[in-house]
Amino acid sequence: MSKTTIHPDQIYIDGLANNDSAIIQSIYKKFVPKVVSYIRNNSGDEDQAQDVIQEIMILLFNQAKAKKLQLTCPFDAYFFLLCKRKWLNEIKKSSNKGVTIDDDLPSSNEPTEEMVAETEVFDEKQKLFDLMFLKLGDKCQELLKLSFTIKSMEEVAEKLNVTYGYVRKKKSLCIGKLTQWIQETNRFKSLKIT
Amino acid sequence: MNEERYILFGQYLENELSEEGKITFEKQLVEDQEFASDFEIFKELNLHLENKFGNEKELNAFKKNLKSASKKHFKTKKSKVIAFKQWQFAIAASVVILFGLFFLLQNQNPSFEDYDNPENAYFTERGDVNENLKSAQDAFNSKNYKVAIPHFEAVLKENKSPEIQYFYAVSLLEDNQFQKAETNLLELKSGTSIYNNKATWYLALSKLKQKDYKSCKEILLTIPDDFEDYEQVQELLNELE
Repeated sequence: MSKTTIHPDQIYIDGLANNDSAIIQSIYKKFVPKVVSYIRNNSGDEDQAQDVIQEIMILLFNQAKAKKLQLTCPFDAYFFLLCKRKWLNEIKKSSNKGVTIDDDLPSSNEPTEEMVAETEVFDEKQKLFDLMFLKLGDKCQELLKLSFTIKSMEEVAEKLNVTYGYVRKKKSLCIGKLTQWIQETNRFKSLKIT
Repeated sequence: MNEERYILFGQYLENELSEEGKITFEKQLVEDQEFASDFEIFKELNLHLENKFGNEKELNAFKKNLKSASKKHFKTKKSKVIAFKQWQFAIAASVVILFGLFFLLQNQNPSFEDYDNPENAYFTERGDVNENLKSAQDAFNSKNYKVAIPHFEAVLKENKSPEIQYFYAVSLLEDNQFQKAETNLLELKSGTSIYNNKATWYLALSKLKQKDYKSCKEILLTIPDDFEDYEQVQELLNELE
């Protein structure tokens, strides 16, 4: 991540991370109409727009919570491009419908595109991690879930009726297993790790 | 699987290594690319899980908030759209049919609930200090009749006015205290205040609530046609026919 100055629109990102209703509402008021009309002009309807927008907002919330979202471009352009690309992807997925895509790219704006790319990589990684997590055995899943929710390892050990040392070791091994799978996944190879 | 390596990663992240162990570890990170890339992923996974499970509650709260904001936004916009789609027609039609069935299957007799819409009480003004009156008003307007009743009683003990008595009687009726309600309503009915027609109307509703349709009708017929809610009176009379 390049160390550029943070854009004042970072308030929207922080507002999302803090679940600030006023900020959420102002995003709807200021930035959502543009997305809706884009989706409607490109073979979508309002319900589909609503879904795309919610998914992008949740993604931004997660990325902001992971402290990995520092806006270096205007929120407007960033948000619009994210929604737009998500929508185009969805159309592509169900492309047998025979849609026409009016794809005029906005004037190439580097910081915006960089930011969008970062968020998309974050999204891909999250999805991959979640997918791998589900491949773990029940024991690993439960232990990881507990140890990241409860925090106190002693308590986790008590809950699972095992020793403290076992929990410590097992936690590392479970994450180790995930690490190994991810190394083996071709999908991950195409993603850059920051 | 290189178990020892992952245990070591865990220990490093939890800051459990000795100074010496740490130095060796960091040296290996620089020298061994495969070791470093493995560690990067391990670290990211750790962070991911920390976020996923640590923020679960917050994420759910956010989703809820987001949903309601979205609903609000799209609802106000949608009201401008009049075009019905085919499936919307189907739903609308089903709703109409359901309603029809509902009414068909229902008892033919009108119910108290259909006519019961008490107006809000506005007794107190700013600066008014009568605690009981304020509490009675608030409880009444939020339909907490059980709470309102004792407050009304306290107010009436001090200062009896037709207005308060009327709202008190309505509260009693809502709370199914028919006898007490009717005593008060009858008193108002025979009075000369502006509440006497209203009291008569509620007296009829009291009979309706008790399913005494005959008395209800008789009382309704005594209400003069200049009563402000005369439309309701007529409607109920028609239904009682």
